[in-house]
Amino acid sequence: MSGAAIELQGVSKRYWKISERSLLRSLVPFGPPNRTQLWALRDVDLRVEPGETVGLIGRNGAGKTTLLRLLAGVTQPTAGTVVTRGRLAPLLSVGVGFHQEMTGRENVYVNGMLLGLTRSEIDARFDDIVEFAELAEFIDTPVKFYSSGMFMRLGFSVAVNSDPDTLLVDEVLAVGDVKFQRRCLDRIRSLSRSGATIFFVSHSMHAVHLTCPRTILVHAGSIEHDGATEAAIGRYHELMAAADDEHQQGPVRVLQRGLLVDGAPVKSIDQASILTYRVRVRFEQAVDGPGIDFRVFTEDGVLAYSMGTTAGERWRRYAPGDEAEVCVIFHSRLGGGGTFRIALDVTDRHRKVLASDPFGPSFYVAPRVGVAGPADLDATIAVDDEIRTNHTWIRLDGSQPTNLARGRDSA
Amino acid sequence: MPESPVLRLDSRPESLREWLGGMWRHRAVLMALASKDFRVRYKRASLGAFWAVAVPVLQAAVLGFVFSRVGKFGTGSRYSYAVYVLAGMAVWAYVSVAVTSATTSIVDASSLTDKVWFPRAVLAVVPAVSNLVTLAISVVVVVVAMPLFAEPFTVRLFLLVPGVVLAVTFTGALGLLLGGLYVYFRDLKFMVQAVVLVWLYVTPIAYPPSALGSAGPWLDFNPLTGIVGMFQRAAVDAPVPSTRAVVVSVVATLLLTVLAVTVHRRHDRLFVDML
Repeated sequence: MSGAAIELQGVSKRYWKISERSLLRSLVPFGPPNRTQLWALRDVDLRVEPGETVGLIGRNGAGKTTLLRLLAGVTQPTAGTVVTRGRLAPLLSVGVGFHQEMTGRENVYVNGMLLGLTRSEIDARFDDIVEFAELAEFIDTPVKFYSSGMFMRLGFSVAVNSDPDTLLVDEVLAVGDVKFQRRCLDRIRSLSRSGATIFFVSHSMHAVHLTCPRTILVHAGSIEHDGATEAAIGRYHELMAAADDEHQQGPVRVLQRGLLVDGAPVKSIDQASILTYRVRVRFEQAVDGPGIDFRVFTEDGVLAYSMGTTAGERWRRYAPGDEAEVCVIFHSRLGGGGTFRIALDVTDRHRKVLASDPFGPSFYVAPRVGVAGPADLDATIAVDDEIRTNHTWIRLDGSQPTNLARGRDSA
Repeated sequence: MPESPVLRLDSRPESLREWLGGMWRHRAVLMALASKDFRVRYKRASLGAFWAVAVPVLQAAVLGFVFSRVGKFGTGSRYSYAVYVLAGMAVWAYVSVAVTSATTSIVDASSLTDKVWFPRAVLAVVPAVSNLVTLAISVVVVVVAMPLFAEPFTVRLFLLVPGVVLAVTFTGALGLLLGGLYVYFRDLKFMVQAVVLVWLYVTPIAYPPSALGSAGPWLDFNPLTGIVGMFQRAAVDAPVPSTRAVVVSVVATLLLTVLAVTVHRRHDRLFVDML
């Protein structure tokens, strides 16, 4: 194979947003136009070499889906050229193209053919497909009796077993249990090692960070960033925060927010940082002793941490028009890492919420080796006289631990 | 592994060669989808494909009964009126069912088509292929009915060959065109339903063209008159179809094919934008 796996040159894609399209309406030559144009992509250049694993991130409507559709060849560009080399398999989300009345076996064949396999190629891969999907006992059952997890496992299994040169992974991993997700990621990595090009689209910055060394950030139809994943994620969070800053009303207004480490704004940090969240608010009415509630959420919206001032504390009295600066200082010890979002409420002294700022800045914390989950409990594990802390094994008598001697876990 | 394919896309429509090549490479997909289509349709019915034949036969019986009472066609003719209606209904059932389902085929498959590419035309041709099974069964029913109504097997039976070819091409082309247009014009589904309803009566299926008197020759401009006539003529010695009707059928089929292929060649990768 010569040349890039994927090459886009000056690619633009225009959609027509159609308000009302009927046969009658389109036959009438005059009257107001019933369609408006919408550029989903504008002058995009992109080159991906064979074997690369590339993340694709961006807000909803930024152009990710259009880019994927162009790569999959289901739509053609309005301008520019798209060249893809090699067999390409989209990871169909939740068994797309499966027919409810047909059995798993029949669906595997139809699906495989749609991905460009011949009947004999499917015959050869059939056992692998069924085994990977863990559906051996249900393969002759109509798929309408499948759970959504089984559905997606089968769809995924057909795609990864089709030996694609390029795999388009579009947020499919959101479904399925954790065990299967892990196996999917493992399989994607092994495909990648054997030379396949992987295009990984996700809203989970964590998954992108773990999977892709290079990430493309699409924003408003253009490539905003193409390069190191950390920087792409940082820029993504900036864009997200900027978009959230729009309408707010009420007795207290948030004027300014900043997430700082050592006085400089950050988006992406390690485990050993001390962060300062600084918020400037203005009171539109008199507030007698305001309180603050500070919360940190994980990407999935799970509360990771919460802390607030206590009811009845009287700090100061603010008159309408007064401004105040709130500072929250905290540690970045967020164990397994990932993306976190800050929420902050301003309350009165009876803890009635005066202003809620649920979409504060997001930040990415690099995971700590060997730790998962938002809390870092700093656990220590002992097996007989060998003890494992977060990072190392030690031995009570000070001698060399056996597993270090074997060269394992020397991190 | 075979030589890896290179796909190059720009704003230009596909050339005819590229389009035909794409269709050819996806012939296995066409067959797989057609066989899936057929099996799925009757999967839950205990009598299965029997219904595919029973319904048109019943329709033929009702139409035949009504028309023979109203128009007194059956009486005194040299051929079996019952076989005449049955033969006409066999093609009609095929054309109407296949065209109706082809119309919505591309839109109905939108969950599939926005993920993986194969020529969308495949979807619109599937009904013309999958319904061939029921057409074949219907033809067998006609052939079985012939001796029962004292119709001899003659060399005219070979008319079935060009008849089937023409019927399939016409149906495929019309379905292809309507399937493509329906992506853009969603009124089309109801228009097709309405037209099919009328079409049954303006096609000489339950009556001979001569029954309309001086208006009869106008039926020749209905492209189905020639196609239906070939099936009827194969079964019974009726004075159909006229040469003009056959010419109209052939010309209409060719025209539809060119039109349908052009629409798909130009819009194949644009349909998804409208779904």
